[in-house]
Amino acid sequence: MNPFDGRDPREAWRAYDPDAHFPWDRRRATRLLRRAGLGPTIAEIDVAVKAGPSETVRTLLETSEPAPLVTELKDVTAAALATNDAKNLAASWLLRMIRTPAQATELLTLFWHGHFATSAAKVTDPRMMLHQHDQFRRFAFGPFDELTRTMARDPAMLIYLDSATNRRTRPNENFAREVMELFCLGLGNYAERDIQELARCFTGWEVHQGAFRFYAAQHDRGEKEFLGRRGAFDGDEGIRIVLDQPAAARFIARKLVRLYVCDEPEPPDAFIQPLADELRQGDWNLKPVVRRILTSRLLLTDPLADRKIQSPVQLAVSWIRALDVRLSTQQLNTDLASIGQGLFFPPNVKGWPGGRTWLNSATIVGRANVLSRIAREAAQRSGAGNLASLAGRQGWESHDEVVSGFASLLLAKPLDEADRRQARQRLESGPADRSQRIADMLQVFALLPEVNLA
Amino acid sequence: MSNVLHRRHVLSVATCSALATLVPRAPQFLIETAAAAELSASARNDNLLVVVQLSGGNDGLNMIVPRDRDEYIRARPTLAQTPGTLLKLNDELGLHPSLGGLASLWESQVLSIVQGVGYPNPNRSHFESFDIWHTAQRDTSLRSTGWLGRWSDMTGARETSDPLAIHVGGESQPLALAAHDSAASSFRSLDDLRLKGSRALEDRSAIAERLGAAPLPTDDFSRFLRATTVSALSTSRRVEAVVGDRSTSAKYPGSELARRLQIVAQLIEAGLSTRVYYVCQDGYDTHSKQAAAHAALLSDLGGALQAFHADLAQRGQDKRVAVMVFSEFGRRVRENASQGTDHGAAAPLLLVGGRVRAGVVGTHPSLTDLDDGDLKHQVDFRQIYATLLDEWLGCDAARVLGKSYDKLPVLA
Repeated sequence: MNPFDGRDPREAWRAYDPDAHFPWDRRRATRLLRRAGLGPTIAEIDVAVKAGPSETVRTLLETSEPAPLVTELKDVTAAALATNDAKNLAASWLLRMIRTPAQATELLTLFWHGHFATSAAKVTDPRMMLHQHDQFRRFAFGPFDELTRTMARDPAMLIYLDSATNRRTRPNENFAREVMELFCLGLGNYAERDIQELARCFTGWEVHQGAFRFYAAQHDRGEKEFLGRRGAFDGDEGIRIVLDQPAAARFIARKLVRLYVCDEPEPPDAFIQPLADELRQGDWNLKPVVRRILTSRLLLTDPLADRKIQSPVQLAVSWIRALDVRLSTQQLNTDLASIGQGLFFPPNVKGWPGGRTWLNSATIVGRANVLSRIAREAAQRSGAGNLASLAGRQGWESHDEVVSGFASLLLAKPLDEADRRQARQRLESGPADRSQRIADMLQVFALLPEVNLA
Repeated sequence: MSNVLHRRHVLSVATCSALATLVPRAPQFLIETAAAAELSASARNDNLLVVVQLSGGNDGLNMIVPRDRDEYIRARPTLAQTPGTLLKLNDELGLHPSLGGLASLWESQVLSIVQGVGYPNPNRSHFESFDIWHTAQRDTSLRSTGWLGRWSDMTGARETSDPLAIHVGGESQPLALAAHDSAASSFRSLDDLRLKGSRALEDRSAIAERLGAAPLPTDDFSRFLRATTVSALSTSRRVEAVVGDRSTSAKYPGSELARRLQIVAQLIEAGLSTRVYYVCQDGYDTHSKQAAAHAALLSDLGGALQAFHADLAQRGQDKRVAVMVFSEFGRRVRENASQGTDHGAAAPLLLVGGRVRAGVVGTHPSLTDLDDGDLKHQVDFRQIYATLLDEWLGCDAARVLGKSYDKLPVLA
């Protein structure tokens, strides 16, 4: 039975209003920030607790990067680009994820990278990858139709889908197929014939000397017929026809629910339709829908929303931001690639499937190793930055307070009694340095099944 | 759960309880070592299956090439293999010239080629077609488990903590291995399973023991999280304990596929009770400039399979291992404008092993009687699954596959 059965969609998406049963406390504020971005800093949690849920979401949707940070990141990105290695671009992106206050934008940038997945393994010019990446940030909150039209002209995308040359006599079906299957509609909402006809709309859309060009002589100007429409459509009109399908808005809304709320089970259409309607009414702008999801009772009060596994990037960045760790993001990128999420190197055009597929023996061991490294780095920071001073500033004095404090900061669920006992033992004995003992305790967290929950 | 309680289950359970009785608080590792020692002797008799997945849609037509030249050359003006370079299998068929490794397996009579494998109403989406192969289900609502995952669920409770199936590779775990009650392991190298925390080994034992003893969570999501963590912690402990320096003198080529198969050979030699291993070779989606890319892939494939078989033979393990090589679909008969080929349908499937019945099953699909430009299938892939499940892994294939399929003469 689908646990969504028996729940009322209107009730689920109704805005959460704090009450005695579901108070707006640190735990709930942390949940909201963990889902809306890549994981909050302690300061961000403090602000959210005071501000309340709707003001917190408003801030999340409106925050942009301060000018000095923009300048600094621009320099870092330029330096990365100069190495001509997309892995360094990934490292500079991780730095931005850690440093930026515009967390909601950054999470959506990552989301679009997985949605319009393109890999530097095939697109060997990092400038193209960066150009595409900039579009994802620019259109993070939509409009989705414009983002799709941009991707149809994106050199990295066209090269990735073998459409760098696309001739009238032999239209390349690859991009058209993915527009239907992976970008806009999903399986079951079109026929093979629709793909072939849409492919004709994109003929002559090519990459020439590293840039998009419309090669008019190779464009098929004949009449096409697909998805119930007939006419001499070009690529933009083709995309419009696809996005006019009712399935399109549901497809995107469904992916957003998966991004923010839960990996499984699949919500029935009744839960998706209100969000889909909002997307269409807002001309494919995401903000109204994202606001609705982030303020919803479903996300903030329903145990169904516990069913979400953190991506490797979110897991690592959330620990780094929460513990205020400084580390090499080049090494971090290598580690993240080894546990299944190498930025700029998605596994295939479907992106990262996420959910349960994040976890297997190697990635669970690998995740624990990444987290224990972050904990050790945090312990080694000197002075005010180390873990003992962090605990001190929060007023966590006793062993129990330290265990609970770090658990609520880093874990989505409270510890059970046996886990708590083991964690406390790490504080009671071990290295003389208190920060080191806290790091040992964090390494216990890193091995618990629950550490992987979002 | 299996109704048959194997003799070795009884034995090892008895060994464990005897130890537990004699030493009321026998350390966990001692119990496990005793069980493992008993097991590694008997586990060596079980048949093992190694699945090699060619991801992206292998051009089967250029792999096992028909000698019916006219149609082939018409359809493949730039990609047709010239007759003189083919490695001859018989009067009708030749192997792609880069498949020297496979040719030598053919010579050794350990290779079976099943022609024209597919399924009705072929789907040309990579993901959809993989899902069909992995789950053996057309109905999308029934796709939560894979065929090997269901086999693993039926094979049932284990006396050691070794996972029933191991996937070696960096990509996501194939859906074929998804199970309800157990979790297959995935890793790229043995080093991936080494915990590096300062007190990680103590922590691992404590947590693994606690998770193992606690009651199972009631909801399926928490159960998955628990099972996967337990499987990770115990595989990590087991692999550290059993894989010493046991490498043979077998020479493997430098390819990634060869590296993965070499790890599989090491794990088999180490005596894990794992029965299914899964590896992938990616890159077969050759829409443009196929010739060089495909030749390189096939060369890696043939070389890796040959080295793996030779290694197993040297370790005396080749008779208990069957390798199945498949791809989610073949490619269109007619090449495209970019000197490549687009997504197609039926393709050959390979089996390799010391107890595989060598030869060719079926005839090459017709190049003129096509299904929307693609080769028609003669063999349903589920017939091969049924054969392997029933005759090789020893379980009730119809229970795994939902119905009975005609088996094929591929095992000796």
